[in-house]
Amino acid sequence: MSDVAAIRTEELTRIYKIRGGKKSDPKELVALKDVDIQVERGELFGLLGPNGAGKTTLIKVLTTLLAPTKGRAYVAGYDVIKDPHEIRSRINMVSGGEASGYGLLTVRENLWMFSQFYGIPSKAANQRIKELLEIVGLGDRLNTKSSDLSSGMRQKMNIVRGFMTDPEILFLDEPTLGLDVGAARDVRNFIRDWMRQEDERTILLTTHYMVEADELCDRVAIINQGKVLACDTPKALKRQLQQVVIFQLQVSPCTVTPGMFDGIQGVRNFNHAHEDGYTTMEFTLEEDDILPAVIHQLAERDIHLLNLDKRQPSLEDVFVHLVGMRMEEVERGETG
Amino acid sequence: MQAETSMAHQNGATRNLRAMGRSFLTAAWLGWQIESNWTDPFLFAIYSVVKPVSGAAILVVMYGIISGGDFDSPLFAYIFLGNAFYIYVGSVMTGVSWAVLDDREHYKTLKYIFIAPIHAPSYLMGRGVARFLTGTISVIVTIAAGMLFLNLQLDLRAVDWPLFFAALGMGVIMLANLGLLLAGVTLTIANHVWFVGDTVAGALYLFSGAIFPLDVLPVWLRPLGFAMPLTYWLELLRRSLVGDVAQAFPTLAGLSNAQLFAILIGLSLLFGILAFAIYRWCEHAARERGLIDMVTNY
Amino acid sequence: MERPADFARPYSPRLFFQTVIARAYPRIIGTQREKSWLFFDVFLPMLAVSAYVFVYRAIGAPETYIGFVVMGGAMTAFWMNILWSMSSQLYWEKEQGNLALYIIAPNSLMAILLGMAFGGLVATTLRAFAIVLFGSLLFKVQFAVTSFLALFGTFTLTMVALYGMGMMFSSLFLLLNREAWHLANLAQEPIYLLSGFYFPLRSLGFWVAASSSLIPLALGMDAMRQLVFLEGPSFGFLNVGIELAILGALSVIFLIGARYLLAYMERLAIREGRLTDSRR
Repeated sequence: MSDVAAIRTEELTRIYKIRGGKKSDPKELVALKDVDIQVERGELFGLLGPNGAGKTTLIKVLTTLLAPTKGRAYVAGYDVIKDPHEIRSRINMVSGGEASGYGLLTVRENLWMFSQFYGIPSKAANQRIKELLEIVGLGDRLNTKSSDLSSGMRQKMNIVRGFMTDPEILFLDEPTLGLDVGAARDVRNFIRDWMRQEDERTILLTTHYMVEADELCDRVAIINQGKVLACDTPKALKRQLQQVVIFQLQVSPCTVTPGMFDGIQGVRNFNHAHEDGYTTMEFTLEEDDILPAVIHQLAERDIHLLNLDKRQPSLEDVFVHLVGMRMEEVERGETG
Repeated sequence: MQAETSMAHQNGATRNLRAMGRSFLTAAWLGWQIESNWTDPFLFAIYSVVKPVSGAAILVVMYGIISGGDFDSPLFAYIFLGNAFYIYVGSVMTGVSWAVLDDREHYKTLKYIFIAPIHAPSYLMGRGVARFLTGTISVIVTIAAGMLFLNLQLDLRAVDWPLFFAALGMGVIMLANLGLLLAGVTLTIANHVWFVGDTVAGALYLFSGAIFPLDVLPVWLRPLGFAMPLTYWLELLRRSLVGDVAQAFPTLAGLSNAQLFAILIGLSLLFGILAFAIYRWCEHAARERGLIDMVTNY
Repeated sequence: MERPADFARPYSPRLFFQTVIARAYPRIIGTQREKSWLFFDVFLPMLAVSAYVFVYRAIGAPETYIGFVVMGGAMTAFWMNILWSMSSQLYWEKEQGNLALYIIAPNSLMAILLGMAFGGLVATTLRAFAIVLFGSLLFKVQFAVTSFLALFGTFTLTMVALYGMGMMFSSLFLLLNREAWHLANLAQEPIYLLSGFYFPLRSLGFWVAASSSLIPLALGMDAMRQLVFLEGPSFGFLNVGIELAILGALSVIFLIGARYLLAYMERLAIREGRLTDSRR
């Protein structure tokens, strides 16, 4: 096994210049800010963050499609700026929700064409294409025109395109985006099996699905507004929250006012959602003993407790703990 | 009960008319937003000056080398004016049909437009308005170039303006209908030619007597020319602008202006009905074959 | 993770060749799948050619001009291919998400461009041949080819220069984004005029014709007309040998230009982040 890390970045920064009208000066958008990550060979590494966090920008830099504004990035030990050719012969990439390929060609022809760009002899390529399509459940679509595929099938074809060249390092950018539950599960199983087959295979996967990161990744970096906020195994990240306890309460429908629980010491975080016929409240508390004060507060406001659950922290809780709000709230542009 | 039914019918008709008006105006606005970059001097030069004048110049060179530069001949005025007004054929037909390709393959909005409560034919025709307006500038520029540099015999004081505007208006409606027919066909085909309207217009050039009298065509092809509303439209325009020159060619000389106009209206109506029917059929076929959101690329 | 021995090495000549063939495939095979091309690419242009033929007949031109028009009509197919399927293609590939995949492949982008050009050339030759065939039969065009080898050589050289130009434009058009559309539009009628698609090039006068010689089709067509029509040489702009020499020089300039511009485009796009953003 090579000693060189599969991926390494040092203070990686990327700033986009966004042009306004003809007269206004270009504005700057910081997509990545001083990102330092290291992915070892054989790792399935996840980048978890909301839309617009900088995940795709990081993938573009690592796949040699975009130059960093500052800092350095190495893939398989090679500098993305100085040695893009060395990197390109070792990687591949799959972007979710993209319809790459040519609609007038069949699935086999599209994949064969891409295999040729990597120097795979036609016979071997066709063999691989057939095998991989069988695995993802598209075996009977070999000769279907790709324009006739559903978007889920097209995404599976796209996934086969990325894996078919057997890259050392594979970049998966939201690979299950837009897939239904069953298809997403198939894709996750496929990724896991592929990793198991060889020790040195490395995947960098971006996702904004917590479960996906939790289920698949050896290590996860949580990224928001271009900055890496934490990086560790999902277990270790969640362990950080073990000094807190999370309670989920179902209560009678009620109006939640800001600062409702501010008077109670030890409430680290509070979220709520109105459901059909009840309201769900989620509390992150410093210890179990604070719960009675919370329930007392509810009773004083004539809010009835319907159900109570104590649950284990998830990566979602880690994100909330780090950013101060849920990922959907960040995506909606709410301020923390 | 009967009164209620008739009221419901009336309401339905009003609703349909409103949908048509709304679709047309919104599409005209959208088309203008897309096309209005012609106000950029560079783009204005490309579309309204360089392209049409070059197109005319090809014919001028062809005519010039064979005739030895005899630009005073009525044949030259015939060719030049026919070609200038033919610009409308390409621009209006392209304007209407191009919207299908542009929305489907570039903006990828066609599917959303088709599921919206709009009147699709009115929408497509609305999208053609901007091209009609920019086409008008091209026609004027081309004719002005002919008058200034090539001694084109056109006396603005002798022009029969009522006949000119009546023929022009009728022709534009007729062209918009042909554009709709083409839009229908475009819905069912892959994107081979970006400017399918221009390509079809180029082909119809042959049968419309635009740049040569129909007599030049082989006998077996002439009926096609006589069946095309474009033939009568161009003849009326020529007669309104340069009466004597147009009458120098015997092909349609036996017909009076009123007769030509009546034929133009009749054929426009016939082609209009045909265009709507074909468009409806194609739209149905496109939905059936799932082509509304097709992207070609190869 | 050893690479099997029979795999082409990254950036090797073998991989280059493999890529050219693979990228040409969709153009040669894919384009024939939708049968509507016969109508749009052969039948309709045929009608447009006929219109110009009848204009010549209306003004009493000698029959040699009819042959010129048929040949010019066929050659417009190549120009349209250059404009809409070569020059604008990288822009389209970007919009579809393919460009990023081409760039990250361990391969020269020139191979992709050459593949596009080769595929386009083969598919368009089929269309142009059909137009020449039908046009000649319909209008009884008389050919007097003195040397098929010279004709083939001239055609090949014209195509190398022409598609070299298309490859160069593809990077340029990508840099210009949607403005490229307008440039492609600009390059239709004016080029038909300046290249002498429908009349002998020398009718434009020496200086205009000489400037038009930068467009490979102008000289290529002039040379081919001299080689296939009995009276062709009397309408020629320059001696065929000189025209071929100029075409050879243009081929070299355009291919080198294509390579330089492609590298420049890639560098600039990577720096500005324009390779993968679709801008509608």
